[in-house]
Amino acid sequence: MDKETEIKKLMEENKKMAELCAVKADIVSMSAHQIRTALSGLKWIIKMFLDGDLGKLTAEQENLISKAYDSNDRAIGIVSELLLANKTEDIAEKKYIFSEVDLTELIDNSIFDFSGEANAKGIQMIFLKPEIRLSLVHGDKEKLRVVFQNLLENAIKYSNGHGKIFMALREKDKIIEFSIKDIGICVPDENKSRIFEKFYRDPEARKKDVIGSGIGLFNAKKIIEEHGGKMWFESEKDTGTTFFFSIPISK
Amino acid sequence: MNKTILIIEDDNFLQGLEATKLKKENYEVLTASNSTEAFKMMGSKNEVSLVLLDLLLPESSGFEILKKIRDDKELKNLPVIVFSNLSEEKDMEQANKLGISGFMVKSNFTLDELVQRIKEVIGQ
Repeated sequence: MDKETEIKKLMEENKKMAELCAVKADIVSMSAHQIRTALSGLKWIIKMFLDGDLGKLTAEQENLISKAYDSNDRAIGIVSELLLANKTEDIAEKKYIFSEVDLTELIDNSIFDFSGEANAKGIQMIFLKPEIRLSLVHGDKEKLRVVFQNLLENAIKYSNGHGKIFMALREKDKIIEFSIKDIGICVPDENKSRIFEKFYRDPEARKKDVIGSGIGLFNAKKIIEEHGGKMWFESEKDTGTTFFFSIPISK
Repeated sequence: MNKTILIIEDDNFLQGLEATKLKKENYEVLTASNSTEAFKMMGSKNEVSLVLLDLLLPESSGFEILKKIRDDKELKNLPVIVFSNLSEEKDMEQANKLGISGFMVKSNFTLDELVQRIKEVIGQ
């Protein structure tokens, strides 16, 4: 087979694979929504029992029913994670639409989005805003939003309760650097090189939170790299973990 | 007189649970499984005080129903709470733009929390 025919064949195969992938993603999304619907009904019914709407429960019944409620909530969490993974898996791959983006505003919005979760765990999110207005970056707003969401979600998930999360943004030499620090679990030295691998979840993270797809950081790093930037982290016992990324400002 | 809530939900199981809970809270409840039924109820003499709207529906989607409500001279100010299992930001933004009194993801809330939100919007 000559080179041209081979390339053509590969392109056709690639197209078929992409179509198949899209169909698969649709099926996952549809099924996940249906499972979510069934679990919602279950959640409401169990809650009625727990609230005594259907008569007073014995201590033993209440104990078991409340375990059922928690277990159902865990299943809901897994389905949400599945939906997120299904969506974010293709978000890093999708076409990038570049415009001028204000990172300070994006961070403010993400903090607002997660305020409920953070409050529930008694966690304070502190954004050390730069005193001067920073330059806009040339980036894809929606994809950068996903990066902030992934980083914030992780920080909340793996923080110790009633802790603080610090975020900072600074500009230097035509580069903007973001950092997010939490005091929670730390990544052991021997696993540090694997943290951005697709589907990798550190054993410490698994211990702290059973739900997770191992795709968030993989995607975040990929999106930052598509912006010509880089992402890295530092993690020490007792001082916590800080994730950083830097991206060049507008061209 | 008790206030009337219209539930637009195509899943019979969930519709039944929502209706039972709201009736228990002394609301009058109407139910519809699609757009045609829903507008028939809103158009008749029923004084609907609030609509509880699912988004994934047969015929017209919840977004289309919401838009039609907002474009209608008589119904445009009717409070609508979206109660769906769609949870993506783009869905919330789209609904917010059309004008809603709340966006609640079914699996993240209990029916008590739903009732609480309804009370905040229209009172008992």
